[in-house]
Amino acid sequence: MKLYRIGDITNLTGLSADTLRYYEKIGLLPRVSRTASGIRQYQERDISRLRFIQRAQKMNFSLAEIGDLLQMREDPQHARDEIRELTRNKLAEVEKQLKELDTLRKELRLLVNLCRGSSDGCPIIENIDGADQPG
Amino acid sequence: MSIKVEVFSSPGCSKCGHAKEALRKLVDELGGDKIDWREVNILDELDYAVELGVLSTPAIAINGELLFSGLPSVRKLRAALETRLGVDAKREQA
Repeated sequence: MKLYRIGDITNLTGLSADTLRYYEKIGLLPRVSRTASGIRQYQERDISRLRFIQRAQKMNFSLAEIGDLLQMREDPQHARDEIRELTRNKLAEVEKQLKELDTLRKELRLLVNLCRGSSDGCPIIENIDGADQPG
Repeated sequence: MSIKVEVFSSPGCSKCGHAKEALRKLVDELGGDKIDWREVNILDELDYAVELGVLSTPAIAINGELLFSGLPSVRKLRAALETRLGVDAKREQA
């Protein structure tokens, strides 16, 4: 089993060492094993958990909500009813975001295609900008 | 019963004029009373264009269904119009 030091984890995730220690302190990460000299040794499952936390934070979930979702992630069969409900609600939020992102992606793709089709700069963007100008 | 045709255009789109011209001729030929057509400036109706799946201009939709993305040949456009007109005519007879 491959083990990682805290510096490896900061490189892999972009999270600071302080943040990693904080997550462990508040229980978002289970207690990380230590070497005899007290150096933290992270495992693959810790990295997977941290990536989940980062994704959930990008969705603006609170740390408390993320903690609950991590319980569900750890043992979905035995999660409490309120945690199952929270997970369902968060799934609905993610699906709504995906739908909005999909529309935005199509819109941007269309705009890029229109620019590509023009030999004279990007008249469509200039036109949109111009529409916001007074007069 | 008429069919609804929409030509999506954008500023700086050199082929959009060709698409409109081709459509105009076909409408005259097939009967202007049967084909209700309009030009849609993408900048004015971007949400609608995205909803229909328009990816470039010109694009042509018939009865709210995107059929051509890019400039279609006159032959293909005529076939699409005739098919829709034929289907509608049969429905009227039924």
